[in-house]
Amino acid sequence: MADPMHQFQIQKIVELPTVTVPGLGAIDLSITNSVFAMLLAATLIVVFYAAAARKAVVPGRLQTVGEMLYGLVDGLAESIIGHDGKKFLPFVFTLFAFVLFMNLQGMFLVFTATSQLAVTLTLGIMVILTVIGVGFAKNGIKFFKLFAPSGVPWPLYFLLVPIEILSFLIRPITLGLRLFGNMLGGHVVLKIFAGFVVALGGLGVLGWAGAALALSSVIALTALEFMVAFLQAFVFAVLTCVYLNDVVHLDSH
Amino acid sequence: MATENHGTVETTEAPAHESGGLPQLQFEHWGGQIVWLLLIFAVLYVVLSKGLLPRVSGAIDERGAKIAGDIADARRLKDEAEVQARAAAAEVAEARAKAQKTAADAKAKASAQAAERQAKEEAVLAEKLAAAEASITTARDEAMSHVRTVAEETAGAIVEKLTGKTASAAELKAALA
Repeated sequence: MADPMHQFQIQKIVELPTVTVPGLGAIDLSITNSVFAMLLAATLIVVFYAAAARKAVVPGRLQTVGEMLYGLVDGLAESIIGHDGKKFLPFVFTLFAFVLFMNLQGMFLVFTATSQLAVTLTLGIMVILTVIGVGFAKNGIKFFKLFAPSGVPWPLYFLLVPIEILSFLIRPITLGLRLFGNMLGGHVVLKIFAGFVVALGGLGVLGWAGAALALSSVIALTALEFMVAFLQAFVFAVLTCVYLNDVVHLDSH
Repeated sequence: MATENHGTVETTEAPAHESGGLPQLQFEHWGGQIVWLLLIFAVLYVVLSKGLLPRVSGAIDERGAKIAGDIADARRLKDEAEVQARAAAAEVAEARAKAQKTAADAKAKASAQAAERQAKEEAVLAEKLAAAEASITTARDEAMSHVRTVAEETAGAIVEKLTGKTASAAELKAALA
């Protein structure tokens, strides 16, 4: 059976020089299959929206889909963050679209960029750095109130503040790991069941029944993975909005 | 340095490395992915937020404004039509009242004229009747006076035939009174 992990192997497509950054070490800037997948996803988003962003009052099919995705994120930001949500809409939308396109690309092509821990963790850390930046820009030093919720007897703060700090620091990791785990697990399971089809199919008549069963599982799992691809992008956007809301509306926290 | 790095990257694709756990944990590939991701994300963010998303939201807002405007227009036109319909109904009512008044006037005038004419005819007839009555009365009176004369003469003749004497006019008159 083919190695189900082989699909996650980084492979170089275009060799580019390695850059050495002091303190960080050598960074290989070659275009790998992962970088290519990200580039393709970003290009597809731009091409899609260049075609979908029309001024037509009565939208065509493409424009309807484009506006539906935009409306989805718009409604999300509006309902979670409230009136200030409009400011963060481009950021949340870029995240959502980027993750969604990378996830869906994995359903059609051989490589899924969001199954790379380096990618998902970077996205998670990017979100949390944005949250911290927005928090300080909006509240100044009061940002630290986030870790000390009001309305609690003061002795509890000894317990509460470390928990709050820990839960805040763990957010980028959970954000990244959730997406990574979903994509990794889904694609591994798909690969294993698809491997069963081949392996059982070679066993003769009795094996064919097993192969058919495995094949139907693959079909069902493929449908599930399409849903997961969309859902994880959505969850990523929702959590980004929730974290942003925490620092935007710190007073009501 | 560069050549050294190349060496490590090349060996990661060897089977020995692949069996050593998740390919995602080959940290020598992280740097490049992270740098490229940040770069691609930044470009995508700028392109979307400055170029494409405003167009999308613009189209959505424009559509909303157009629909709201159209609804407002339709409402305004409906109100206008209602006002016009009310005005038309009022005009019809006024015209009907006018027509009824004209008809009533004409009727009253006609009946007045008819009454006048009738009165005039009646007066003429009454006059004629009075004249006729007067002439009848005179004729009767005249006839009556003739009757007396005839009676006097007849009485005179009868007396003369019976008695052979002629009665005087005064005696006859007294006898007939």
